[in-house]
Amino acid sequence: MIEVHNLEKEYVDEEMPTRALRGVTFSIAKGEFVSIMGPSGSGKSTLLQILSFLDRPTGGAYTFQNKSIDDMSDQELAHVRNKDMGFVFQSFNLLSRMSVYDNVEIPLLYSTIPPQKRQSLVGEAVRSVGLEEKLYVEAGKLSGGQKQRVAIARALVADPNVLFADEPTGNLDSASGLQIMEILEKLHEKGRTIILVTHETQTAEFANRIIRVRDGMIESDVLVTRTAHTRPVVLK
Amino acid sequence: MLLRDAFCTATRSLMQRKMRSVLTMLGIVIGIASVITIMSLGNSAQDYILGQVQSFGTDIISINPGAPTSGPPAAVQGIIITTLNARDVASLKQEPSIVSVAARVSGQATASYGTVERSIIWHAFSPVGFHMFNMELSQGAPFTDADAGAYRKVIILGSQVAKDLFGSVNPVGKQVRLDDATFRVVGVFAPKGAGVFSFDNYIVMPLSVGQKQMLGIDYYHELSVQFDSRYDSTFVKNRIASILRQNHHIRSADKEDFMITSMEEALNIVTSITSALTWFLAAIATISLIVGGIGIMNIMLVSVTERTREIGLRKAVGATEWDILQQFLIESIFLTLVGGLIGIIFGGTLVGLAYVLVTRFAAVDWVFTFPPAAVALALIVSTASGLIFGLYPARQASRKNPIDALRYE
Repeated sequence: MIEVHNLEKEYVDEEMPTRALRGVTFSIAKGEFVSIMGPSGSGKSTLLQILSFLDRPTGGAYTFQNKSIDDMSDQELAHVRNKDMGFVFQSFNLLSRMSVYDNVEIPLLYSTIPPQKRQSLVGEAVRSVGLEEKLYVEAGKLSGGQKQRVAIARALVADPNVLFADEPTGNLDSASGLQIMEILEKLHEKGRTIILVTHETQTAEFANRIIRVRDGMIESDVLVTRTAHTRPVVLK
Repeated sequence: MLLRDAFCTATRSLMQRKMRSVLTMLGIVIGIASVITIMSLGNSAQDYILGQVQSFGTDIISINPGAPTSGPPAAVQGIIITTLNARDVASLKQEPSIVSVAARVSGQATASYGTVERSIIWHAFSPVGFHMFNMELSQGAPFTDADAGAYRKVIILGSQVAKDLFGSVNPVGKQVRLDDATFRVVGVFAPKGAGVFSFDNYIVMPLSVGQKQMLGIDYYHELSVQFDSRYDSTFVKNRIASILRQNHHIRSADKEDFMITSMEEALNIVTSITSALTWFLAAIATISLIVGGIGIMNIMLVSVTERTREIGLRKAVGATEWDILQQFLIESIFLTLVGGLIGIIFGGTLVGLAYVLVTRFAAVDWVFTFPPAAVALALIVSTASGLIFGLYPARQASRKNPIDALRYE
């Protein structure tokens, strides 16, 4: 599903080039739950931005669902982001004065899904994160955990193939963080591909594969095998 | 993104910032209201003046002493020209295309009745003028050729003069002093309200009395000619010019000492002056529209900066540059269009108010018009200003990098 080969990203800031990614190569199959880990400045967020089509690499190749990013226009990238990708951010990025319904509906506004079908899709997505009672509540009035659940519902509403989560528990207390990770885990169990960026080991261990990044390069890429009783607990 | 969704998204954003939206559109409201009011009042004034001019009939030609000029007649500038005289009147009366000729002289005097005094302007002309200028009396009767022939000191008062001197008393038959002479009031003109051709504030007396006894002159200040409507006004003007040139021994047209103006020309002049004035004032009012537009641009730029993260989010979940551009453009057009509609209503209210004030307090019988062209223009201008002044902020929004936008604090 996702293949990156020798991926490079160089930023030129005040004429001093910074290599954020240096020849990253890996592939992710459909249905995988992958955590990308690394310390601050390791390049993990840059990698996620390129994987999620928010940015383009400066070198190497990236193929998403057998299509190279180099062959796609900005408009096509936007279309893929809308149709095949869902996003969960650390800071939720909800429009606080709008209702839960309006927030979750946003991706559908840019899709080809007809207006009459949207209501049921939004309802379904909000139900899947257990917030059906808050459907018409202003997003700004929700707790942090609820906000992140709304963000997950927004990411799921267009039924994307891949869910990108950038430090989804970073702004939450441990109980809310655990709830969020359990939701992501369930989504994975239903076959959704999830790519998570985190610097927290316990959060990363919800995934079945952990890619560690350091100085723009892959340090390790390991599969995680665990049983129900070894299930990680998110601690803060 | 569907246009309907773009519209809903834009209006929802504006509704979330109600006070700001209202204040932002205020500039457009005032601008459009000003344009509407000025254009409407201008049109009404033009219709009113034209109506007044036309009430005299378009078959009137006036002859003023002095060389033709693009500026005001010589008499208005205080230059005394003595060339129009009784011989001219007699010659013009011989012309078959001319029905009647009324000579006029005017002056200023202090009118007094009892202890009441007021300064007035008086006109003196032959009785044919009553018919020529559609002058109606509310009391008494007009003076006659016999009165003029006998140099009888009789006057007809304008309705306002009658009110000022006599109050509620019937002035007909009463004696009024004009400077040192005593006149008998024989009639009062029907009130016409304020206007260019209203006699409400004037006194009218027989030509012979005004010319010989009040002024002691043997020339006229103006001749008015009513021509046979079967003739073309240009033909009659040429005939008049020919007669007067002959009487005044003038050989070439550029040496003419008289100015001939037909009512048709006067109508054209009035139309062009009032139109130019209306458009000039509307152009000034447009400045407030531009100021309003710049206000909208300013607020939209603030809005784009404030909503940077929202833009980033929308782009991250699939909005294209066009989607963002469209949303912000719709917001600015919506602001200006709603502002324009409110401005039209506000302008209409002002026009209505002006109508009440003018008709009730100034006693002017105006028919107010609310030109559809002004309404259409206001809507087009307000939409265009939303488009023009919203384009730059919308472009700024649409070009934001989603990663930078999402990181914006």
